[in-house]
Amino acid sequence: MSAKHYVATVGELQPGGKRIVEAGGKSVGVYNIDGVYYALRNLCPHQGAGLCEGVTSAYVTSSGPGDFAYTCEGEIVRCPWHQWEFDIKTGQMVVDPRMRTLTYDVSVEKYEVSVDQEARIYVHLPA
Amino acid sequence: MESTAIAADARKRRTKPAIIDCDIHIPSVKEEMLAYLPRHYREQIDTFGMRLPSQGAMYLNGAKGGRMQEQQFPNDGKTSSILEHFRREHLDKYNIAHAILTGIGDYGINTTPDPDYAAALCRASNDYGIDHFVSQDPRVKSSIMIPKQDPLLAAQEIDRVGDHPGLVQVIVSNGAEKPYGNRFYYPIYEACVRHNLPFAVHVSMEGIGINHPPTGAGHVNHYIEYRMARTQIMMAHLASMIFEGVFVRFPELKFVMIEAGMLWVAPYMWRMDQDWKALRSQTPWVSEPPSEYVRRHVRFTSQPLELPPDNAMFEPMMNAIFADTNLLFASDYPHWDFDSPLKAFPKMSAERRERIFYANAAELYGLPSPAGQEASE
Repeated sequence: MSAKHYVATVGELQPGGKRIVEAGGKSVGVYNIDGVYYALRNLCPHQGAGLCEGVTSAYVTSSGPGDFAYTCEGEIVRCPWHQWEFDIKTGQMVVDPRMRTLTYDVSVEKYEVSVDQEARIYVHLPA
Repeated sequence: MESTAIAADARKRRTKPAIIDCDIHIPSVKEEMLAYLPRHYREQIDTFGMRLPSQGAMYLNGAKGGRMQEQQFPNDGKTSSILEHFRREHLDKYNIAHAILTGIGDYGINTTPDPDYAAALCRASNDYGIDHFVSQDPRVKSSIMIPKQDPLLAAQEIDRVGDHPGLVQVIVSNGAEKPYGNRFYYPIYEACVRHNLPFAVHVSMEGIGINHPPTGAGHVNHYIEYRMARTQIMMAHLASMIFEGVFVRFPELKFVMIEAGMLWVAPYMWRMDQDWKALRSQTPWVSEPPSEYVRRHVRFTSQPLELPPDNAMFEPMMNAIFADTNLLFASDYPHWDFDSPLKAFPKMSAERRERIFYANAAELYGLPSPAGQEASE
């Protein structure tokens, strides 16, 4: 069983964007990465900061000193306190995947009530 | 019924016990601070800028502005607005009974080759801090900035403001021209003792301006190396203080190491004790094991807390560093590597927690016990 909470219309959450919403007493960050939606509990497992309030970034890799390569653009959130990096798609910390925040299912729903009504994004939390 | 209410009240108090936070950095409003400078320096600054070397010109930081990203201070040019933000976001939020500001203004003052300018900036910073922070909230205490470049000028500044009840220690940057045990600094320690003030060293400004490079091997490149180097320098200061005989000459002096780590103190003390057994005759004034001077004279702050990978090592290491008497809780608010008063430490006994989060600092700085503490025990 889960409870459905409204997040935004699809037009309000464009690729690269995020929304932080209250859902069932919890703060949740919902991200649009290339048209796919991901939801994370807005709580860093380290010391309790609002994780999703941090900068959304890329995963930086390197072939050696002085080289910087960017992959997974928009898929990393850096905690606003200690700058720990988390994978938005899994909720896992980049360097220690056992350290993780909860992720939630997201759905996009459209009811044909009127022609011009936009589809709406919902996050699903365990009841 | 009444006893239930008292028990509930005690439970509530236990969940949010009073805290002394020993490392706080509130931004200052430059224009309001500069008003305390004499005309000569105000005009120079108007014409040429601050002419202070900065760490940011050589090294990165951990986050934009060096702060937790949600800590956006008001920018209306009023120190009172900053203090209001600080009260709400930190003092009230975590039930901080006393917040020790570790320097008002800029540790860059400790890097300029001009001691007269450094002294003027310290006087301005200290007076600004007294008027705009310390006098505005009884919870806020501060540290005396000194021109360490010129220990006689530094002693004058300590004599000038050292008896103010809101100023609880003297502070300098870890970056230095000479290790702090050097007799060059004795006028500073004489003044500290005259006013019953601890001498605190806060990591900062290593290798910047007149200060020596952040390692004996030279300058390092990345910010993370720079952070690692700070501990080496603090180690050098600690050994210097002990073996130059500072604590023998100034038996009342307390030395506070701020933001340089804590658990390393254990093996470092063991190494000093071991070497002292063999080399004691070379520094015979050091008549007791070095660890004994650490226990009696040295205090250190907790943030950024280094936790062992195995939690079972935590308690033994805490015992080894005399945490129940020598460790002081610090959050480093509002900096990005902030340690939450509620979440940073692993579980500890209530007694140990009370020592680290309150009693050790209260004894060091002469601060009162938390109100109602007796009733809750």
